[in-house]
Amino acid sequence: MRGRGIVALVLVGFVLVATGVIWRRSYGTLRAREQSALEQARSALEAERAKLDGDIRDAASRSRLARVAEERLNMRIPSDSQVFVVARPPRRTTRDPH
Amino acid sequence: MIRTSRVGLVHGAFLAFALLLVGRAAKVQLYDGATWRARATRQQVADSPLPAPRGRILDASGNVLVESRQLVKLQIAPKEVWGAPTKPKAVDAARVRLQTVARVLARVGVSSEWARKAVDTTDKWVELPGTYLASDVQELVAVRGVHSTPAIERVPPATDGLRRLVGRADENGEPVDGLEKSLDALLRGTRGTTAELRDAKGHRYDSPGVEGTAARPGHTVVLTINQQLQDIAERALDDAVRGMGAKGGDIVVLDPSSGEVRAMASRRADQRSTVATALTEPYEPGSTLKPFTAARLLDLHRARVDEVVNAYGGKWDYNGRTIEDDHKGTSFTLAQVIQYSSNIGIVQFAQRFTPREQFELMRDMGFGMQTGLPYPGESPGRLVAPKGWDKLTPASMAMGYAITVTPLQLATAYAAIANGGELLEPAIVKEVRASDGTVQYSHTRRVVRRVMTEETARTVRGLLRSVVEGGTAEQANLATFDIAGKTGTAKRTVHGKYVNGSYTASFVGLFPADKPQVVILVKLDDPSKSIYGGKAAAPVSKTIIQAMLASRDASLDRAELASSRITPAPKPASATPVATAAATPTAPVARSDRAAQAFASSANGDSAFEGGDTLVRSVASGSVPFVFRLGEAKKAPPAVVAARAVPSVRGLPLRRAVYALHRAGFRVSLDASGVGDAAATSPDAGTVAPAGTTVHLMRAP
Repeated sequence: MRGRGIVALVLVGFVLVATGVIWRRSYGTLRAREQSALEQARSALEAERAKLDGDIRDAASRSRLARVAEERLNMRIPSDSQVFVVARPPRRTTRDPH
Repeated sequence: MIRTSRVGLVHGAFLAFALLLVGRAAKVQLYDGATWRARATRQQVADSPLPAPRGRILDASGNVLVESRQLVKLQIAPKEVWGAPTKPKAVDAARVRLQTVARVLARVGVSSEWARKAVDTTDKWVELPGTYLASDVQELVAVRGVHSTPAIERVPPATDGLRRLVGRADENGEPVDGLEKSLDALLRGTRGTTAELRDAKGHRYDSPGVEGTAARPGHTVVLTINQQLQDIAERALDDAVRGMGAKGGDIVVLDPSSGEVRAMASRRADQRSTVATALTEPYEPGSTLKPFTAARLLDLHRARVDEVVNAYGGKWDYNGRTIEDDHKGTSFTLAQVIQYSSNIGIVQFAQRFTPREQFELMRDMGFGMQTGLPYPGESPGRLVAPKGWDKLTPASMAMGYAITVTPLQLATAYAAIANGGELLEPAIVKEVRASDGTVQYSHTRRVVRRVMTEETARTVRGLLRSVVEGGTAEQANLATFDIAGKTGTAKRTVHGKYVNGSYTASFVGLFPADKPQVVILVKLDDPSKSIYGGKAAAPVSKTIIQAMLASRDASLDRAELASSRITPAPKPASATPVATAAATPTAPVARSDRAAQAFASSANGDSAFEGGDTLVRSVASGSVPFVFRLGEAKKAPPAVVAARAVPSVRGLPLRRAVYALHRAGFRVSLDASGVGDAAATSPDAGTVAPAGTTVHLMRAP
């Protein structure tokens, strides 16, 4: 009886360990597939972001805006006499506190 | 006893068999384990290459010019999509799948011909052309029988000028030309792999148990180009080529204090031209070369700016050739020779050089050799050694003929006049960063050699200022800033022969004249409306400067500019205030005063006009103000002539030895002319000496 009990315990232990191993592998596989799917989704979104960034750059580029501003809004580039660069005021000298 | 022996024998046999199995297993698993694992991996795991994204190319302000993005290629197995259904429900599902394929393909712009092929269930495999955004074809990829593989697309720069400079990469990511090709080793990343399990029939399955290697992106290259300025230059060139009826043109904008190229635009009527012709197509520069002759004569104390030569009334027979001036006069000072671009005057002044000296002058200015910019196919131009000259070559060269230069070479030489006499190595790459952000390379200013003294450079800038104030380039003049520059109008050649009526019109400007922040070279090929550099090219330079001033980010140090601004003369009381650029008054009285003072003041090193309370005055005058807030003042790079080691040229043919020493930034003197090999140098090879030091080259006996 004692011997059979030990054998039974060993068998139960074996089944438990095997179940644990299989569960862990299945769980790992599931998570890895999810991770892979998420990485693909991220990659697709990155590609889309790059495309949209490019579209924004093109739309906001000087070459496009300047032309549109001139043609639709009658704007123009100012002459040099109409551009004023304000000189930086001289820096105040700090007094020695002594 | 016998029975016991039999049982023992059987037990022993089982035990031995078990031990044999365990032993064999141990050998396979432990001793030969690595070999078997590798063999199993080869059989069961299939690696697919994972393309590495090429590095990004940014402008100097960090704006993205070129980048790669990951897309997908599509492969469709129509038979697999159909799936040979038998039951009515399965047939309906298969039809839905085919309809989905056709609908999505139409949405992403696949041609009807390819879409038809993709749903033709008699076909086994169809590879669709082109690449697609993964998010656009997500619905399609979910359908059975539709497969996708990753592909990298290189998004080219938005403008033609940048495309010429940056170059292209093909659909496989291989560089074709331009910086993409020359910087390929930096931009190319390291490929990765994706691993999949493979069964005995060759079917592939994704498995988390096998891992691939991640692709490593290439380095990020930051160019010295300023995108705003590039747009300005490209548009100005477009307008000029169209407006002047030219066959093409080039514009180079250079920072003379660092040698960094800020903008480079090229246009050609020939649509097949795809390269940056400002680097690859040399031309005869004409009169834009005259200031260098004046500078070297002043440096050698062989001429003074007020020294007078005969101008022969604008027509002079010299060695059987008639030399003519457009601006005719009886006599000209050296200053007037430059101001009015007198061919007769400059030829007479150039006679004070020996051919050797004239050749060395051109060589020192960097002509006849590549600038070193990392661009495939950069032309060195053409500069023939004196032994290949005829009796007219010195005169031709003084007038800017018998030599060809690229626009970049000429802009670099003018940068030496602008920065006080140092010839700098031009740069197009500002920084290189690894994919983890660490800086691998950062451009530092490199002086090739000193080509004139600071005093001479200041004097020549004064001469060039007079060209714009009252000489051949008045159309480049601005109301509120002084510009220095020189025009060029040179006959063009076809198959080595000059063609009547075909000219290159050019202008090289320094802005502002007192402390130049940019060198602008404008060149128009064969303009039909006006052949003169002063009329065709100089106004383009003015347009660019005005646009730069009105742009928030165009590489200008506005804190410095504020001190260079001059006050326009007040308008006559009767003048009606106007607000348009085209009608801005030019104040001719003030102009002539400034022209008279320009040279004298520049020789003293002072600005001729101090900016006053310009804002108040100009607002009162009725014009529309555009006020810029100043950023942090730009720190001037240290004006240091870097010392470098004299290279070893022992055993090299003299020609190559001279070339190597020149490339290293040294002047060269020879103990004797002729052919032979170099024996030694003085100072010796390896000696550290400042750039511009004369190295004496001794010939082997």
